[in-house]
Amino acid sequence: MSGKASTSKPNIGLGGSDGLSHAYIQYPPLRCNVPGSSGLFYDDGNRLLLSPTADQVFSWKVGPFDPLIDPETDSISEGPIIAIRYSLDTKVIAIQRSNHEIQFWDRETGGTFSHTCRPESESILGFFWTDSQQCDIVLVKTSGLDLFAYNPESKSLQLVQTKKLNVSWFVYTHESRLVLLASGMQCKTFHGFQISSADIVRLPRFEMAMAKSEANSKPVLAADDVFIVTVYGRIYCLQVDRVAMLLHSYRLYRDAVIQQGSLPLYSNRIAVSVVDNVLLIHQVDAKVVILYDLFVDSRAPISAPLPLLLRGFPRSSTSSQSSGRESESSGGNLLSNHEAVTYANTWTFLVPDLVCDVANKLLWKFNLDSEAISSSSSEVPSVLEFLQRRKLEANKAKQLCLGITRTLILEHRPVPVVAKAVNVLVTSYSHSIKTGSYLKGLKPDKTSTSVVQNTGADVSVIGTDVFGKSILHESTKRVDSGSFNKASTVSSLDSEDESQTANSKHNLKESQVEGKVSNDISLGTGAHGAYVMQSSLQSGQEESQLTSAAISPDEIYSFVFSPVDEEMVGDPSYLVACIIEFLHSANSEKIRVLPNVYVLIIQLLARNERYAELGLFVLNKILEPSKEVALQLLESGRQNAQTRKLGLDMLRQLGLHHDYVLLLVQDGYYLEALRYARKYKVDTIRPSLFLEAAFVSNDSQHLAAVLRFFTDFLPGFKNTSEHNRYCRILNEMNSSMTV
Amino acid sequence: MGVSSNESIELCIFDLRRGQHEGQELDKILFFFPAGLPFSKQLSVIGLSEGLITFTRIFSPEAACEVIEAERHSHVFHEPEPDIWMVMVVEKSNDSEPIWRDDALRKVLKEIHSLFVMFHGSIRAMLEKEPGGELTRRHLYSFIMDYLRACKKPSPWDNCCCCYDFFVGKKLTLPSFRDCLKERGTVQMLTIGREAAIEVQSLVRVLESSAGNTPCYSLILFQDLLVSTTLSPDDTINLFAYAVLRLTPHALSSGASSWSYLRKGSTASNVAAESNITHPSSMSEGFYGSSDISSGEDNHYHVVRPLQSDKWSKGKDGYLVTDLWGAEVATWVFATPTVWLQQTGEKMYLCVFQHRSLTLMLLIPVSSIPNGEQGVVAVKQQVLENASHKILKVEEKLSKGWGGENAYHVSGYRYLLIDGDRNVSRASPATKVTTLTKESLLAMNKLRQEVELEKSRAKLESLNCEKDLEMCIRAKNNAWVISRVTRGNELYMVLEKANETLLYASDAVEKFSDRYCDGTFSVD
Repeated sequence: MSGKASTSKPNIGLGGSDGLSHAYIQYPPLRCNVPGSSGLFYDDGNRLLLSPTADQVFSWKVGPFDPLIDPETDSISEGPIIAIRYSLDTKVIAIQRSNHEIQFWDRETGGTFSHTCRPESESILGFFWTDSQQCDIVLVKTSGLDLFAYNPESKSLQLVQTKKLNVSWFVYTHESRLVLLASGMQCKTFHGFQISSADIVRLPRFEMAMAKSEANSKPVLAADDVFIVTVYGRIYCLQVDRVAMLLHSYRLYRDAVIQQGSLPLYSNRIAVSVVDNVLLIHQVDAKVVILYDLFVDSRAPISAPLPLLLRGFPRSSTSSQSSGRESESSGGNLLSNHEAVTYANTWTFLVPDLVCDVANKLLWKFNLDSEAISSSSSEVPSVLEFLQRRKLEANKAKQLCLGITRTLILEHRPVPVVAKAVNVLVTSYSHSIKTGSYLKGLKPDKTSTSVVQNTGADVSVIGTDVFGKSILHESTKRVDSGSFNKASTVSSLDSEDESQTANSKHNLKESQVEGKVSNDISLGTGAHGAYVMQSSLQSGQEESQLTSAAISPDEIYSFVFSPVDEEMVGDPSYLVACIIEFLHSANSEKIRVLPNVYVLIIQLLARNERYAELGLFVLNKILEPSKEVALQLLESGRQNAQTRKLGLDMLRQLGLHHDYVLLLVQDGYYLEALRYARKYKVDTIRPSLFLEAAFVSNDSQHLAAVLRFFTDFLPGFKNTSEHNRYCRILNEMNSSMTV
Repeated sequence: MGVSSNESIELCIFDLRRGQHEGQELDKILFFFPAGLPFSKQLSVIGLSEGLITFTRIFSPEAACEVIEAERHSHVFHEPEPDIWMVMVVEKSNDSEPIWRDDALRKVLKEIHSLFVMFHGSIRAMLEKEPGGELTRRHLYSFIMDYLRACKKPSPWDNCCCCYDFFVGKKLTLPSFRDCLKERGTVQMLTIGREAAIEVQSLVRVLESSAGNTPCYSLILFQDLLVSTTLSPDDTINLFAYAVLRLTPHALSSGASSWSYLRKGSTASNVAAESNITHPSSMSEGFYGSSDISSGEDNHYHVVRPLQSDKWSKGKDGYLVTDLWGAEVATWVFATPTVWLQQTGEKMYLCVFQHRSLTLMLLIPVSSIPNGEQGVVAVKQQVLENASHKILKVEEKLSKGWGGENAYHVSGYRYLLIDGDRNVSRASPATKVTTLTKESLLAMNKLRQEVELEKSRAKLESLNCEKDLEMCIRAKNNAWVISRVTRGNELYMVLEKANETLLYASDAVEKFSDRYCDGTFSVD
């Protein structure tokens, strides 16, 4: 631990360039080395890493992950520790001391009591705290589940409910609120309960598939072989079939468990992580990771198996701990620190995206390299779809999407390809509008507070300088979402059609988890003071401000079409084709397009002198009428009278009488302008303009008519100097004619 | 003799730069209808025209005479290319009201010429290539005769102005007062909503990108109405005219026998007349050359006759095919038609695809396809791969929104609407126009003549401003015949059974303008 403070600044980008990978861990890790520690425990309910010593427990808040965070300490009494979990309001520490005893420790009062069960008939397999309204803590015992309410006054647990079952072992994750209980000879019969704030759901009993190696040997399923995975608000269960070397997946619904297909395995030791709804299957023995996006039905991996990369590891190690073991994953780099070994035997994977190097007392967080993922596939639409689903690094995904689309157009890829890509973006935006996840980020986007620096711990996003504006959420919003989340059911053992709402709820949850302010007030506001923005280690920081990668039509204009227009050489009709495809998508999604897109189309068509087409576009209302469009038509119409007329007509149809009359006068149609002005009571234009126009036309009759018009209809005109002046001019004109 | 009955109309093309020497006068004649007329008579017509041109040029070197009104004949002049003149001589009727409108006749001449140029290039260029002029004459003869015979038969709901049957019986009928609510040389457009329009444009872009990076053009028609074009206005007019004459589902089916019920009485005489025309009298046969391909097989040069009727048909793949441009003997693959674009002067392959009522015309530069027919086939294939889904979608969408033959009928009104800026016109359906009395039509014919006079005067004064114009006539039968011209847009309207006050008529126009023209013609 002593080396922590003196560790040199991370050498940014040092480890970033070597080796190809789609997932990485970022140096430095969280060091949780405490002298006298009796082991490391993970409390996924509060996302705490716990390291108890003889009379103390050190706890690090690991959600959000910050490697420089200092631990908090609590005093506890001595004794063996099997498991340790803080209550969800972090007021109580529960420590499983033995197979039949759990000790409770009130952090404020220091009061303590123990709960025991009958040692002869049952033993405690584990326990977890819940946010259910019916109970506070659930004990999993060999005889079933005991649901208790925690009563601090009477220093006891009150039994609320019992579920009698034979349990061999269980798996539980807090994010899914789901406990799976294994029973049977092969431990492949499962009972499931979701104990969420809304209610307690009992899943139908189901069996997992196990291939038989020989006729007589029946493999037994171990707890290590079953994973509960939460992606996109859906809950899956993954099960390793060691004989078939397959990873079976099951989707868990409220009323059914449906097998979804299987993924191949290339290693005897398997671990599963979820980063930003992407499934990482760690093939530990093979030291590679395969990424899957379960959103789509296909079970094809996102990309080929690749090693996990360690990023930002300092080349010249300041510490003297190097043991000379070479890291296989870093491809022969001169990294030789034993800390730098990925997929070491001592790695313990924590839900959902952490890994703990138990030997070295290090905690790493998995990250996705969305840029590497996007550049490794040529299937642009599916890459965009993938990126659009990213919430964690939403801003980065957004910039990548914009960059990809821009490149697509600049490279003159076939129009249908661009059309598909643009359609992905527009549909995703439309969807985010409907679910409301985009609007959350919309308001701050307008003011564009670019406070957070891009630390560049990553290979930088294309064009970060230009587009690197980040969005800061108001913290009130964050708190709101947190409380909302607390009140609502977490996620989804819902039927399929409800998965959308569950999805958005899940987003809320994540944003809350990622946020600075946790949903619990009491713990660690002081401790979180150490959470500094410029800690340059977590590349996901600035992106976490934005919850959706959705791109508004305006952004597509500003960051795709407009820059492409500036950069592109040659025929602009290709860009017109791309924009039309964009309009096509926007129209089918009923999304309003801002006039700047139309203005751009006009400019492009006019540049190409395709005025006939332009006319067609206006007449068919492909370019929706607006003042901006009308003015651009007038501007582009300098070279083409027909186009100018279209602009004039549009002004008239929009009822912009003042502008219309003014332009009529400018074009010399002053009599028409007068007629029109009288009809629509336009009195904002100076008479002198009309008179001057009539004078310029050198037609004394017309001048007289205009003069008469104003004397008749404009009260007080007779007394103005203009009246006298033009009367004089008129007289001169007439006399010169008679002479 | 059929020939003599055609004497009432004469149509000739001559070149002032040719035959300027004594005894070579015949050389200047490039085309004469009727071809059977003795050369002496032909020469006298041309001589008179030439004289008039030379005389009027003294006063107006830029624009020589447009029309000469003699006691019994009108001579309509048109100079499509420098020193190449087209003259049409029509007989006047004995009525006091004129039955012809000069401008309508001139538009026929213009159309003949621009279609000819589209398929064959300019006459001058042809003459320069072949100073003898024999080939040019043969081309012109077969082309114009095909054009005149271009009996796009009038359909029951025809609202299109290009659909004349010039030969009714033995007589050549030209646009008369009955056609005063039509405008040749304009296109008729389908009105579509924004959604459909975007769908169409999306299809257009896919179509045009099918040939790679080559800049292509396209034209899309639904029924006989234009939906989209990326061509210049002039080229659009030409291709649209050709499509309506020969390519639309309508034009294709009109060749079929299902048609005859409308023209039961006249079929026989029609055939007789045709035989008359296809075989010019022996005297001038050598001069204009035989146009008949069958009899001209010995000719080493193949005269393409793009206007020949009933030569297009729909192939299995949806593309329209024709043998008009010849075929490769070995493979029996029809050659792809080619046209010249007026604006760019480029030679383009013309590929026509048809799906139900939807006709797509794709124009690909010949120069961009190095391997000729094979390349065209590849592009066609590409179009099918890329666009067929969109084509189905667009057709479905347009069919759904299609209001039928009388979609543009406005009850109570008989109108013609011309957007001069875009060469677009819209008119009451022909069947509705025929319900008008002869008096109304004659009055409208006269009114249009007046308006055109006024317009050409304004043009001569070469003012930058386009003047507004409004005319209302109370015809003999108490119908209101109205015209309004405002900055490039023209509206002509006949209101029969209308109230007698002018206010009523003016109100009716106002209503029409607000409702159907976005208020373009509204005043005050």
